Amino acid sequence: MKRKRAVPKPILFSEGWEVIEQGVTKMKRILEGLPEPPFTCEEYMKIYTRIHDMCIQRSPHDTTEKLYTKYKEVIMEYITSVVLPSLKDKHDEFLLRELVIRWSNHKVMSKWLSRFFSYLNRFFIKRNSLPSLDEVAFTCFRDQVYKETKGKVKDAVISLIDQERGGEQIDRGLLKNVIEIFVEIGTGKMDYYKNDFEEEMLKETASYYSRKASNWILIESFPDYMLKVEECLRKEKDRVVHYLHATSGPKLIEQVRHEVLCVYSSQLLENEKSGCCVLIQEHKVDDLSRMYKLFSKIDDGLCRISQIYKKHVTVEGTILVKKADDVASNKEAEKRVVVGLQEQTFVREVIELHDKNMPLVNDCFQNHTLFRKALKEAFEIFLNKTVAGSSTAELLVNYCDNILKKGGSEKHSDEAIEQILEKAVNLLGYIYDKDLFVEFYRKKLARRLLFDKSANEDYERSILTKLKQQNGAHFTSKLEGMVTDMTLARETQADFKEYLQCNPRTNPGIDLSVTVLTTGFWPSYRSSDFHLPFEMTKCIQAFTEFYPTKTNSRKLTWIYSLGTCNITAKFELQTIELIVTTYQAAVLLLFNDSNRLSYSEIMSQLNLVDDDVVRLLQSLCCLKYKILNKEPNINSISSDDVFAFNSKFTNKMRRIKIPLPIVDEKKKILEVVDKDRKYVVDACLIRIMKSRKVLNHQQLITECVEQLKVFKPDLKLIKKRIEDLINREYLERDSENLNLYRYLA
Amino acid sequence: MEEEEAGTMVHTNFYCHLGNWGILKKLEQWFIPISMSPWKLGEKAALQALKANPYVDMIVVDGISLLCTDLQVDPQDIVMLVVSWHMKAATMCEFSRQEFIGGLQSLGIDTIEKFREKLSYMRSELRDDQRFREIYNFSFGWAKEKGQKSLALETAIGMWQLLFAEWHWPLVDHWCQFLQLKHNKAISRDTWSQLLEFAKTIDLQLSNYDEEGAWPYLIDEFVEYLTENGIVQRPQN
Repeated sequence: MKRKRAVPKPILFSEGWEVIEQGVTKMKRILEGLPEPPFTCEEYMKIYTRIHDMCIQRSPHDTTEKLYTKYKEVIMEYITSVVLPSLKDKHDEFLLRELVIRWSNHKVMSKWLSRFFSYLNRFFIKRNSLPSLDEVAFTCFRDQVYKETKGKVKDAVISLIDQERGGEQIDRGLLKNVIEIFVEIGTGKMDYYKNDFEEEMLKETASYYSRKASNWILIESFPDYMLKVEECLRKEKDRVVHYLHATSGPKLIEQVRHEVLCVYSSQLLENEKSGCCVLIQEHKVDDLSRMYKLFSKIDDGLCRISQIYKKHVTVEGTILVKKADDVASNKEAEKRVVVGLQEQTFVREVIELHDKNMPLVNDCFQNHTLFRKALKEAFEIFLNKTVAGSSTAELLVNYCDNILKKGGSEKHSDEAIEQILEKAVNLLGYIYDKDLFVEFYRKKLARRLLFDKSANEDYERSILTKLKQQNGAHFTSKLEGMVTDMTLARETQADFKEYLQCNPRTNPGIDLSVTVLTTGFWPSYRSSDFHLPFEMTKCIQAFTEFYPTKTNSRKLTWIYSLGTCNITAKFELQTIELIVTTYQAAVLLLFNDSNRLSYSEIMSQLNLVDDDVVRLLQSLCCLKYKILNKEPNINSISSDDVFAFNSKFTNKMRRIKIPLPIVDEKKKILEVVDKDRKYVVDACLIRIMKSRKVLNHQQLITECVEQLKVFKPDLKLIKKRIEDLINREYLERDSENLNLYRYLA
Repeated sequence: MEEEEAGTMVHTNFYCHLGNWGILKKLEQWFIPISMSPWKLGEKAALQALKANPYVDMIVVDGISLLCTDLQVDPQDIVMLVVSWHMKAATMCEFSRQEFIGGLQSLGIDTIEKFREKLSYMRSELRDDQRFREIYNFSFGWAKEKGQKSLALETAIGMWQLLFAEWHWPLVDHWCQFLQLKHNKAISRDTWSQLLEFAKTIDLQLSNYDEEGAWPYLIDEFVEYLTENGIVQRPQN
C-alpha cells in the first residue's frame, strides 16, 4: 500500500505573519521595559521555523521577498512610531541619554530580528546580493535616527565638554557612550565620527582656548602661564582617555597647543619681566625645564630658545671681557700686579660662568644638541676677543701657571686642583689660537721647571695628559719633552757628582748643577757673548769634559741667562746668602775687585746689551733690596750712573731671593707663532693637493680650514700661502679655469 | 767648423747654409762679440758653453741700437717686444745668435726690407686677443733679471705702461700708483699673469669681482684700495 507523501499545506502570508508578529510585539515590549518574560528557546524556534517554512514554499506562495521587505518595515515602523518621537523634543543631556538607550535597544532588536529571519541570509540575500539583515537594520537607524539627531547631539556633547572645561562635573560615562555611537555608526570607518563630531569639536576647542589664552597672556607671568598650559594639556589628555576616541588625541592636543602656546610663543619668550632671558638670568631651573618640555613640541620652539640662550651667554661673557678691559685701561702699565690679578679674576669668572651653565644645558635643556652648540658658540664668540691687550690664550696660560707654581695665589686641595685644571683645559676647547696657548705655556713651563717653581710634578703631568686628550699627542709632545728633560737632568746630575768625586782635579770647588735641555722642546733662547765670571769658568769646564763621557755627538750651548746662583754676601753687620740669577751674580762679583763701577764699565765687563744691564742694575739697587748704592740716588738707571757695594745693607732674613723682573716676550711669541702658522698652512695645503691632485679654490680653502685644528686660519693667510706655493712651483693654476689648482709633483 | 779663440766672432758652417744673404753683412755688424762677462753668463758656464756650442755670440745693447736704426724703429717701441717674442729671446736687451737667426728663419726674413715690412704685421699681432696674451705672459720672463724669480717693480710698471698702451686698460695708472704706495716689492709671475685676466674680465665698477675667488692677494688689496679711496663705487649687492 503506497503511503501518500504528506505535502504540507501552503502557508499564506497573512497567516504566517501572525506568529512573527507576536514575536515582534513581545520584543517591543521587552525593549520598552514593560514586564515581559524573555524569549524561550521554543518561542524562538517557532518563529524561526515559521519563517523557514514560508521561505521554502514554492510559488506562488514563495514569500521570501515579502518577508525581507516586511523585516525592514518592522524596523522602520518601530523607529518612526517609537524611537523618533522619543527623541524629538529632547535636548542636551536628556537627548543624549535617550539616544544612548535607543541605540542600545536598536542593537538588541536588530540582533533578535536577524536571528528570527536568519534563514533569509542563507540563500535569498546571498543570491540576490542584497544588504544583509544587519546592514538593513543598521542603515535604518542611521538614516532615520542618526541623521536627524546628529546635529543636536554634537552640540550637546560639545557643550558638556566646555562645561567640564569650565570646572563643572559632567557624566563622563554618558559622553563616552554617545561618542561611541559616532564611531560605531561608521562601521569600521571613522568618517562619521570625524565629519559629524570631531571637526566641530576641534574647532570649538580651538576657540575656547583661544579665548582663554588671550586672557591669560594679559595677566599671567611666563612661568605661571606655562603652568596653565601644562594643566590644560594634561586635562585634555585626560579627556581623550576617558571619553574621546583615541585618534582624536594627537589632533586635539595639537589644536590646544597651537592656540595656547604657538600663537603666543614669541610674546612669552620675549616678555621683559618674566620671559626666557629673565628665567635664565635668575637660574630658575624648574621653569626652564618646563619651558624646554613645552617648547620642544612646537616647530622652531627650541631653535628660538637656543638663540635667546646663546645671546644671553654671549652677553654675560662679553661683560666679563669688558670688566677686565676696563681695569686694564684704568691702571698704569707698570702696575702689572693689579692687572695680573684682574686677568686671574677674568679666567676664574669665565670658568664660573661655564660651571653655572653646564647644569642648565645638561638638565634643563636635556643636553640637546642645539643648546650644547649655543653654549659652545657663545663661549667661542667672547673668548676669542682680546682681553686687556692680551689674547685669551695667554690669560689662560697665566691662570694655569698660577695654579701650578709654588706660592701661586690659588690655594686648593688636591682634588680641587685636578678639577680646576680640568676646567681650564676645557676652556681651551673654545679658544681658536691653541698654538698660541702652547707657545705661551712653553715659556711659563720653562720658568717653572728651570727656576724650581713648580709646585707638584704630578699636576704638571696631569694637565699635559688632559691637553693631550683634548688635542692629540702632537699638541703636547714638546711640553712633555720638557718635563722629561728635567727627569733626565736629575740623573745626569747624579752621574756628574759621581764623576767629580772620581776625578778630584776637575772639581771646580763650587757646587754646580746643570740642566741639559733638548733643543726643539724648549723655547728658543738667544745666546749671548756674556763674559762668564772667572770663578764660574772652571765649573763650566768640568761639565764640558764630563758630558761627552755620557753621550756622543751632542753639542752643548750654554744659556747663562737662565741660570741661578747662591752667593754669600758679607755686609758690615751681617752675612746674608743671596739667591740671584747668574747674570746678577756676575754683576755682584765685579764688586769684589772694584769699589765703584760706572754703568759703562759694568756693561763692557759683562758684555751684555743695554736692556739687560738696566734690568740687572734695577733689580739690585732700585727695587726691594738695595744691595748696591747708586749715584745719583734716583730710582731710574741711566748710563751715567756710578754704582758701589752697599755694605750697610741689613735684613732680618739670613737668606733672601732677589727677583729679576721678567721681560715681556709677548711680541716675540706672537711672531714665532705667526711664522709657524705659515709652515703649518703650507704643509696642510700641500697635503691636500697631493692627495686630490686637482681642486678648485673654494674647496681648497674649505678643506684647509677644516683640517687645521690648532688655530682658526685667517682666509687671507691661506690665500697668500697658496700664491707662495704657486711661486715655489708646488702648485699651478689651470690654464683654462683660473679657479682651479693643480698639484705639481 | 773652424774654432777660434774665445772672444772673437766665429764663422761656421751655419753661415754656409744661409748663403748669400744681403743680411749677412748686417749680421756681422750687429753681432758684437761679448767677452765672457761673468754677469752675463758666469765665467765657468760661459767657457763650457763656448766649448759645447760655438754659437754663443750675443747681440746686446749697442747691436740692438744699430738694429733699430736700420729698421727705422725706436728701441723703446713695443714692436721690439713682439720681435723678441718671435725670437723666443730669453732676456730683454739681448739676442743670442741662435735666437736671432732662428727668429729670422721662422719669420721668413732674409733682407732688411722684408724685416721692415714684417714690423707692421707684428704690430697688428698685438690686436689679436690670444696673441696679446701670449706676448704679455712672455714679457714677464723676458723682462726679469736672469736667475730671479720675480720681476722688479719698476721694470714691471714700465712694461705694464707699455703693454696697456696697446690694449687699453683704464685702471693701469691706479694699479701702478697702488703698487708703489702699498707694495713696493717685486712682482710674482702669478700676479703678472692674473692681472691681465683681471683687466680683461672685471668691469670698471668691479661689480663682478669675487673676493673669495682665486685672485691673487695683491689684486684683492688693489680692489680694497680702489673702493676705500672712492676711486670706484662698487654697486652694493
